[in-house]
Amino acid sequence: MIRVLLFGILATKTGTKEIELDVKTPVSLEALLEELRKRLPSLPEGEFLFAVNEEHASKETTVNDGDTVAIMPPFSGG
Amino acid sequence: MKEPVRIQEENFSVEEEVEAIKRTSKRIGAVVTFLGVARDFSKGHTIEALEFEQYEQMALKALRKLREDTLERFDIIDVRIVHRVARIPAGENIVLIVVASEHRKEAFSACSWCIDTLKKTVPLWKKEITPEGESWVEPHP
Repeated sequence: MIRVLLFGILATKTGTKEIELDVKTPVSLEALLEELRKRLPSLPEGEFLFAVNEEHASKETTVNDGDTVAIMPPFSGG
Repeated sequence: MKEPVRIQEENFSVEEEVEAIKRTSKRIGAVVTFLGVARDFSKGHTIEALEFEQYEQMALKALRKLREDTLERFDIIDVRIVHRVARIPAGENIVLIVVASEHRKEAFSACSWCIDTLKKTVPLWKKEITPEGESWVEPHP
């Protein structure tokens, strides 16, 4: 099971802040994102930022069972 | 003394943070501050408030790393960073960066680099609350 966290506009558009995905692991973030789109078709397209277990990650990063993945829109602090 | 890097809901005092940095060393000859404030008007809309969301587990770590990187990159004595989250009414403080150095030039450069880098590296998101509704803000370079 992979825990996926959504932030900002991604949480608003999908109405979801957190979701668990039961996928075969290890899996790339890119493939996980495709799986997420099937569950949440309202997930907007665009450039996202990623983190796995609170560390910055890229689309090529491999995700394992029990990991927490954050999918984030570009930051807008300050 | 308060932590030099903080994320908090409550307002902060610019004067308190400047005094705190001045107390760290008598070598300080220049203090430069950047204060980000919530505007009441943006792109033709009245803004009642801003609302900041954070990825709590990452945001404070990212701010602490930003402080370390700023200290490493510039010839400065200290830097303090405070960012507010949750609802911030128009006119109130959002973010404060205070940089102290021996001479002003490095403090100005470090302060400018620090706020630019904060916008790119710290997982915070801003929503505008207007009389017509709410909308997430696209990042500004």
